[in-house]
Amino acid sequence: MNNSEKLNYYELLEVPVDASFFEIRHAYRDALLIYDEDSLSTYSLFPDEERAVLLKRIEDAFNILIDATKRSEYDEQLVKSGKLKPSERLTRYQDKSIPIFRTGSSAEKNIFFKKVQEKVKESDIKSLAEEIIAKELISGQDLKKLRKAIGIELEEIFEVARISISMLKAIENNKFHDLPSLVYLKNFLKSYAEILHLDSEKAVDGYIINLTLMQK
Amino acid sequence: MSCIYPIGGGKGGIGKSFIAANLGVLLAKQGNRVVLVDLDLGGANLHTFTGMPSVKTGIEKFLDKTVIDLTQVAVPTEINNLSIISSVNCSMEIANLFAAQKLKIIKAIQKLPFDYILLDLGAGTNYNTLDFFLSSNEGILLLTPEPTSIENAFKFIKAVYLRKVRQILNQREFKSVTDCITGNDNAIEMTARIIDAVAENDPEKGELLRKQLTEYQFKFIINQFRKTVDAKLGEKIEKVCNRYFYSKFHFLGNVCYDERVHESIYSKKIFINKYSYTVSAIDLSHIVKKLEKNRLAGRLESIGSHE
Ligand SMILES: Nc1ncnc2c1ncn2[C@@H]1O[C@H](COP(=O)(O)OP(=O)(O)O)[C@@H](O)[C@H]1O
Ligand SMILES: [Mg+2]
Repeated sequence: MNNSEKLNYYELLEVPVDASFFEIRHAYRDALLIYDEDSLSTYSLFPDEERAVLLKRIEDAFNILIDATKRSEYDEQLVKSGKLKPSERLTRYQDKSIPIFRTGSSAEKNIFFKKVQEKVKESDIKSLAEEIIAKELISGQDLKKLRKAIGIELEEIFEVARISISMLKAIENNKFHDLPSLVYLKNFLKSYAEILHLDSEKAVDGYIINLTLMQK
Repeated sequence: MSCIYPIGGGKGGIGKSFIAANLGVLLAKQGNRVVLVDLDLGGANLHTFTGMPSVKTGIEKFLDKTVIDLTQVAVPTEINNLSIISSVNCSMEIANLFAAQKLKIIKAIQKLPFDYILLDLGAGTNYNTLDFFLSSNEGILLLTPEPTSIENAFKFIKAVYLRKVRQILNQREFKSVTDCITGNDNAIEMTARIIDAVAENDPEKGELLRKQLTEYQFKFIINQFRKTVDAKLGEKIEKVCNRYFYSKFHFLGNVCYDERVHESIYSKKIFINKYSYTVSAIDLSHIVKKLEKNRLAGRLESIGSHE
């Protein structure tokens, strides 16, 4: 039996110490799917407080491991405490600017990302994106408009982000009854925003605030 | 070497008997010698799942000493290689089995000359059920994809652990550890506390306890699976349990919900025979493959250890 407090962040997320940022994001999402309060797989297994502690630790692990500077400091700590061999320690992590869903395994995905990358450089797209991200409230329609302008199909997002088409439609149509709990939604929005090259933090916040106001 | 698989799970009506019977049929059809033992004392109905309206003899004859060998009350079914030991003719009081009788049954089961011995257990977590479940070092836990069933499964695991601990410790030791746990503890917390408490007084005993719990294996099946359920549910449960419990957890697979299960029981036909090409039937055959593999691995291991 392992106690989550005894595990280091890599063990907690079940990723190797040389995991790419891509792998870390996926592992984080998988962990949330298991430990989230709505998750059937751990229903009643943990008392609420314990679950909260666990989720917090998963969150912390993610925040550290996804940030090259913080991760490097963390690795150094692990080396100092003898939990990581100096030889295992990476000097450079996989580049952070790489879109999260680029697996490199499929040429088609790369073509897709290239296409998007080129397209978002165009001035009218750029100004549309800036206009949207500057808003305090961001609706699903805003996201859809930008997606259409870039020329991305929902199927393409599904292919790279594995968010179901119906979920994507619910997001774009602000159908809050069809949306999942906040933890999942935030993750979906984040992936979606990243594919559109939007500042994901602002996009997620703007969307959630808008949704909250709509529900009132 | 025979493999004993008790099939348990907190709740009633989740499909323990259905799964036991159909796994038994499939294993027998693979050429294994299989016996089904109905240990749902007081609620015995396993024979109906094998297409038998009634059985003439069973455990009662072993308990009243009409026969001395439990094998003598193993009744053949319509399936080659498949027998059943029923408890349908046991009197109602049998549900409150004496400890000595229970032990006698467990010992006899462990000696049955079959390749696979599947035990169909009753609902709940009474001592009979738990002791039958612990008659083997690996038990199959059945659950359905509903919060109540999952909660029951975790409660069942907790009860199994506590019972296992009781078997290892003497009364005084057991009393002292149960004083340090509360009814509200979840299974994870409880085992950690017990082991800590035992190890504090007697490090060797603590180590023994940890070792025994580690060697125990839970296998589990999700029955009445539906398309709307997260397809990875079983894998997730396996992962979490392996991380937080001492024992090994092994997910055997999902078995889909199928209306025709009910129909087959009504028409007194064996589901897997009548509907062998349904998704549920295929699910069951995947599980059987895993069980056979597991037995093979166990045999190889025991051969290795004798060399
Ligand atoms: N996979 C399944 N699909 C449809 N119905 C099922 C399935 N498994 C079990 N059932 C139904 O559930 C009922 C209870 O099953 P049973 O095996 O008697 O449960 P238990 O032995 O756990 O009390 C059965 O009558 C059957 O109709
Ligand atoms: Mg039953």
